[in-house]
Amino acid sequence: MATKDSLVTIFGKANVLDDPAVLAAYAKSHSFDPGFKPWYVVKPKDSEQVEKLVKWANKTKTPLVPVSSTGVKLRGDSVPSVPEAVVVDMSGMNKVLNVNRQQRMAVVEPGVTYDQLNKELAKQKMTIPGSLKAKAGQSVLTDVVEAVPRLNPMIQWNFFDPLRCAEITWGDGQRMFTGEAAGGPRDLEKQWNNQTWQVLYMGPWMTDYFRFVTQAQGTMGIATWVSLKTAVKPLVHQLFVAEADDLAALESFVYKAMWTRFPDEIFILNRAQAANVMGKTVEEIEMLKEVLPPWIVAVGVAGREIVPEVRFEARSKDLIDIAQANGLDLKEGISNLSGRALYEEVSGTDKGKTYWKDVYAGSHQNVFFLTQLDKTGMFLKAVREIAEDLGYPTEDIGVYIQPKHLGSSYHMEFTFPYDPDSAKQEGRVQDLVDAVSVAVSDLGGYFSRPYGKWAGIQLNKDAQSASALKKLREIFDPADIMNPGKLPI
Amino acid sequence: MAKKSLYEMKLPKGYEKKLEDFFPMERRCSNCLGCKFVPFEKIKSDRFSRNCPSVWYYNFNTYSARGRFQLGQNIIEDGYVKFEGQALEAIFNCQACGACDVGCKITRFNLEPLAHNIALKERAVEKGLAPVELKAAANSLAKQKTMLPDCKKADRANWAKGLGLKDVSGKDTAEYVFFPGCQYAYDADLKKKAKTYVKVLKQAGVDLGYLGNLDMCCGGRAKQMGFRDDFEAAAKGNGAAWAKAGVTKIVTPCSDCYHAIKRQYALLGIKVEVVHAVELIAELVKAKKLKFKKSVDKAVTYHDPCHLGRLGEPHEDWNGTEVKILNQIHTWEPARPRYAGTYGIYDAPREILAAIPGLRLIEMERCRENSWCCGAGGGCSVFNPEYSDAIASERVTEAQATGAEAIVTACPWCEINLSGIESDNGTFTNVVDIIDLVAKAL
Amino acid sequence: MALSRDFFRALEDIVGKRNVSEDPAVTENYRCITAQSSAHYGPVNTRTPKPLAVVLPGSTEEVQQVVRLCNKYKVEFKAATTFWAAMGFIGSDNAIQIDLIRMQGIEIDEKNMIAVVDPFAIGGTVQVEAMKRGLNCNVAGVGCSSSTLAGTAGWVGFGPSSIFMGIASENLLGAEWVLPDGEILRTGTLGAEGEWFCGEGPGPSTRGMLRGWMGTAGTMGVCTRIAIRLHPWPGPKWIPVRGTAPLYMADGLDNVRAYTVCLPDWEAYAKLFQLFYEADICYLAHRQFNMFGRDIKTAMVEIFTHPELQFRDIPRLVEDPYLKEQNAQMKVDVQIVMAGFSDRDLDYKEKAFDAILAKVGAHKSEYYLQQDIEDFVKLYLLRLARKNYNYTLCSSYEGNFGLHPNVWKAAPFMEEAAALKLKWEQEHTGIAAVGGDSDMGSVSGIGGGGTTGWEFFVHFDAFDQESIKNADAHIEDTQRWMFEKGLGVDFGRWNADCRKNSGYSYTQDEHDAMYSKLPQPGIATYQYKIREAFNPNRLGGSYYKTMTPPECK
Repeated sequence: MATKDSLVTIFGKANVLDDPAVLAAYAKSHSFDPGFKPWYVVKPKDSEQVEKLVKWANKTKTPLVPVSSTGVKLRGDSVPSVPEAVVVDMSGMNKVLNVNRQQRMAVVEPGVTYDQLNKELAKQKMTIPGSLKAKAGQSVLTDVVEAVPRLNPMIQWNFFDPLRCAEITWGDGQRMFTGEAAGGPRDLEKQWNNQTWQVLYMGPWMTDYFRFVTQAQGTMGIATWVSLKTAVKPLVHQLFVAEADDLAALESFVYKAMWTRFPDEIFILNRAQAANVMGKTVEEIEMLKEVLPPWIVAVGVAGREIVPEVRFEARSKDLIDIAQANGLDLKEGISNLSGRALYEEVSGTDKGKTYWKDVYAGSHQNVFFLTQLDKTGMFLKAVREIAEDLGYPTEDIGVYIQPKHLGSSYHMEFTFPYDPDSAKQEGRVQDLVDAVSVAVSDLGGYFSRPYGKWAGIQLNKDAQSASALKKLREIFDPADIMNPGKLPI
Repeated sequence: MAKKSLYEMKLPKGYEKKLEDFFPMERRCSNCLGCKFVPFEKIKSDRFSRNCPSVWYYNFNTYSARGRFQLGQNIIEDGYVKFEGQALEAIFNCQACGACDVGCKITRFNLEPLAHNIALKERAVEKGLAPVELKAAANSLAKQKTMLPDCKKADRANWAKGLGLKDVSGKDTAEYVFFPGCQYAYDADLKKKAKTYVKVLKQAGVDLGYLGNLDMCCGGRAKQMGFRDDFEAAAKGNGAAWAKAGVTKIVTPCSDCYHAIKRQYALLGIKVEVVHAVELIAELVKAKKLKFKKSVDKAVTYHDPCHLGRLGEPHEDWNGTEVKILNQIHTWEPARPRYAGTYGIYDAPREILAAIPGLRLIEMERCRENSWCCGAGGGCSVFNPEYSDAIASERVTEAQATGAEAIVTACPWCEINLSGIESDNGTFTNVVDIIDLVAKAL
Repeated sequence: MALSRDFFRALEDIVGKRNVSEDPAVTENYRCITAQSSAHYGPVNTRTPKPLAVVLPGSTEEVQQVVRLCNKYKVEFKAATTFWAAMGFIGSDNAIQIDLIRMQGIEIDEKNMIAVVDPFAIGGTVQVEAMKRGLNCNVAGVGCSSSTLAGTAGWVGFGPSSIFMGIASENLLGAEWVLPDGEILRTGTLGAEGEWFCGEGPGPSTRGMLRGWMGTAGTMGVCTRIAIRLHPWPGPKWIPVRGTAPLYMADGLDNVRAYTVCLPDWEAYAKLFQLFYEADICYLAHRQFNMFGRDIKTAMVEIFTHPELQFRDIPRLVEDPYLKEQNAQMKVDVQIVMAGFSDRDLDYKEKAFDAILAKVGAHKSEYYLQQDIEDFVKLYLLRLARKNYNYTLCSSYEGNFGLHPNVWKAAPFMEEAAALKLKWEQEHTGIAAVGGDSDMGSVSGIGGGGTTGWEFFVHFDAFDQESIKNADAHIEDTQRWMFEKGLGVDFGRWNADCRKNSGYSYTQDEHDAMYSKLPQPGIATYQYKIREAFNPNRLGGSYYKTMTPPECK
């Protein structure tokens, strides 16, 4: 049977797309890495269809590339790296399958976005800890599976929180649940009836199956739902901000604040990135870059259902005192930037027509990695030096530093806006990203999420991890059909 | 082959005597590591967290009290292990310091790891399998009434020459008999200290005498080494001598003697009031019969001798048995004394040191009931000096970590074993008998 | 089975003569007497097989060489540290035991709150080194006497502190692992950067094969070093202790409060937990002393805090009118510790605590507010130093029931479970009669709350053959009840599929038969494939649960 016929048999005609314009859209991303147009795009409506697809792909050796978010593709991981691929567009599976207030849990399909989920959660006075100004079409599932940092690291006891359990169709076509959900019947309804709410993400035995799909760019399997640890919505909340002339001045405060666990959200932005976050237009961004301080640390404090005001007041005052002891003035707002307004922007999704990092210059490139707080200054210096050498305006470099996992590691992200219509600028940024990526790696920056060229850089540093990963890939994707070309090993 | 009868054994009445009496304990040990670490709440650092010299040095589990419980079971229940090779090595390389006993009794009410360790030694000795050096020491005890090599009974009382001390073996009587122990009686340096003890006590008005020719080894170390018969012979010999001399109160500067007389003699029914010299001196200081006038400007640390500290608790007679209540909870009727180190002699030496002007006491991490052994116990310094020195070295390193200039102690065995030891920080010689500080301050 | 002379000589070459032994005095000592261990498959009075040799490597390199040697000679091996439980011991006659006692280093990065620990660093030492720096570590319920590495990488690892500090899995930042084929895997940042702060990735996290809900119990190579996440400790650099053995009490921890909550019923208990999770006020939270039994728990605390008392005093103490009344109030109870990171913080926590108690109709136990008892409890829970109290009553215990991790699901079954145990206590003499309910468990098994630990303590005598048999029969009955109620595998049978009652490993065929009815067989078949890929000579034993996939038959 021809490829298309087979796909139509599984998905129905309407859900197998091969219009060239549509296919072209699936090949476009911010990444400089080469990509291929898929041959088909399919839109599953349930897990059974996904399972059938993967089994078929195993037989036919057809590459599959899952994608769940809509809108601009920022990283290129969902663009095929090989020809003849079928893109599996999961965005149509967009049901919030369950919300459980008692356990603070939710179960969502891949196509569910933050706005959609928060709307459901709000009905039960809950919320989902978010990532920094996610794009409107961002799949929550992808965001957590790819370990995009959360604004609130204090409720990340596990590196991958709020991700808990998942349903995965592995690359070999076998579909299973992970974590405690794998210990019972493969039927969510039955599990809920038994009051199992997919809370425990580990195992269920001696293997953390969910970990194999994290940061995997779809190379191990396709997740068709995930359970998420949500939070009680605050009754009182304020994002406090403090400014500093240099990054080093924030270090001792952040360490101490993390130690106390008083903050809810906590993150650092430099002037350019804060301007990108807040500015809706080029002019606004430019104006903000004139008036904002070089560095901002933002710290959220919340009071929830138990004595909310007491909690809020205690933690606010303590954090203000800690800031003061560390040479910072933490307050509800600084000139030209209120904490509330900043919170609104960072915690909500991007409402603009143009993705927020593209507003300033038309496009952008990101370099992000994991490090520790006391090393961030070293990276900053190195990146600025490279930018200067290449003639890139250092004042345009956006910096976002986000503690993860209770502060065990820090996501450090450099954003380089550029004009995509200028070949010169594009070429320069391409060189810049390449040089910065190598420099960061040389200095010990860790590409835990190794997109594009970072995969080679990172995996080449650790032959044994690469070998272990290869063995696992051979187990879970023996035919090498899951997003081949990514994470080459 | 399993000897099932052991499970139906008649539970002993009174304190356990032979190895088989300990079979229920061998079965009931729960491998908690209480015999490998200082009681966990008291651990102050990783570096000085261990309590048992034997397993610290040899590492194999067999060399811990838990290991010896299992070893005992392997020997008596199944015959899987015989008294040979590493079994003997594990059995005899135990200082009988009792640190395991304290650790065990933090949570357990029915195990006696120290007594069990000694029971294993006793069985090996019965079979004639003790190390030759220990056999020689026991032989010396029988013949020369001391376990120190090359020492003669005839020379024993020489230390007292010139002191004008009353000889209670004759017609003289005294409230206290000064019982120096072998080290103070024979060792050239320690003899001088024995004299100092006597002078100080007499200066404070203590009515003091000594045993003259009747004085002999307490035999305590024979007990620690598993030579039960030799120990009992020594104890009985001393008991008879004291009875003959009408001795009612003994003061000794030796912690081993103190423990032997206080705890082990009492088990044999030999009862005499015994105090360690530090107890008496502390009382005299409190009563202002000894007054420290001179300042001793020194920072010191105090090493609790095992047999004065955790093993220095008073003996209590007990002739009860185990009973079960609430189906399976084992306890004792009547209440069994629980020697957990609670009532050892810890405060008296510290009170003395605190009373000396200028002297600053800095405690080691492992102190009081959790003190690390000096390494000399159980005859280890006699037959395995390399091991014994390693244990001493660990103690000296710990003492040096306090920043103290000197280690003060109240036991001649500790004093000898800790002196001149190479530690992590070089050779350390400044080990001081508490009496020297007392004398200096008077 | 004898060890080849070449193999033994090679072991001596690797670790030195004094660190390897095949003397029965040593090898017999590395057999687990399973009735003395909470083996979770018995209790049965057997011993695990005798190792051919016991080897004490002193470094990762030595471990690697030993593992390679085992592969060359096809000899099974298992590494362990504190040997607390049966899982640390080998399961075949063709195996050596690796004891990691010589590897005991601890390094702490204070600023970044990370500890790198060797296998024989126990919870008690890691914690004390952390506290010197204003930090603390999750001490698993097994107690501070157990290896932090083993609890973190090798088994489950939750406890009283998990609500604030997370389960061990959540704290495992990186691992250095001698894989069963002798290769060394360094996870995450360690492999590439030589740093320990992240054990995930790059890309899909290979760490997933090293531990899941539980670790591999030494069946998949040897973990030689790990990094763990440390947590804040707002108390002194060392918790001052007053008292002399055996009674120690915390001294002067003014910003730490310990309470026992008395609850009206199990529904209130579940609600209390939920509110604890939401208000994030707990530093530690555990139903602790009930493990001795509902009827005698207060008597036991009296005994522990009065060294002159002994177990023979239990019947008298149980009848003491004041203690009786206090004990009755604590029928449904839980202990919590709150730590103030500032005065305001402590004030908030106290107010939130009071508000929560009011909401669920609970009150603080007056008995536990007595200074000495509060200080005893503080020290007990903060240092978890007396885990061996598990064994104190009768010399041995086995956990059972292990109700559903969702407190709301499990709580309604509690009285029925308690009644079943009470019936056994009354109708048989093999287990201690302590009032039925002897449940102990964490308020949360994971960070931030969300899953409860439930474990009844079945106290029996490891010296008494009938007691052992009776405890086993009791657990067989509670397993029957658990299945009837749809509550799953009884805690006392958790490892029943890991080791036979004889002490030996299961064969692959036996495992295949056991797991053929799994609702989701992938959990076992993928483990088979993982083992084949990383442990091709199958040298780890049957604690690693596998089922042969159809395509591999």
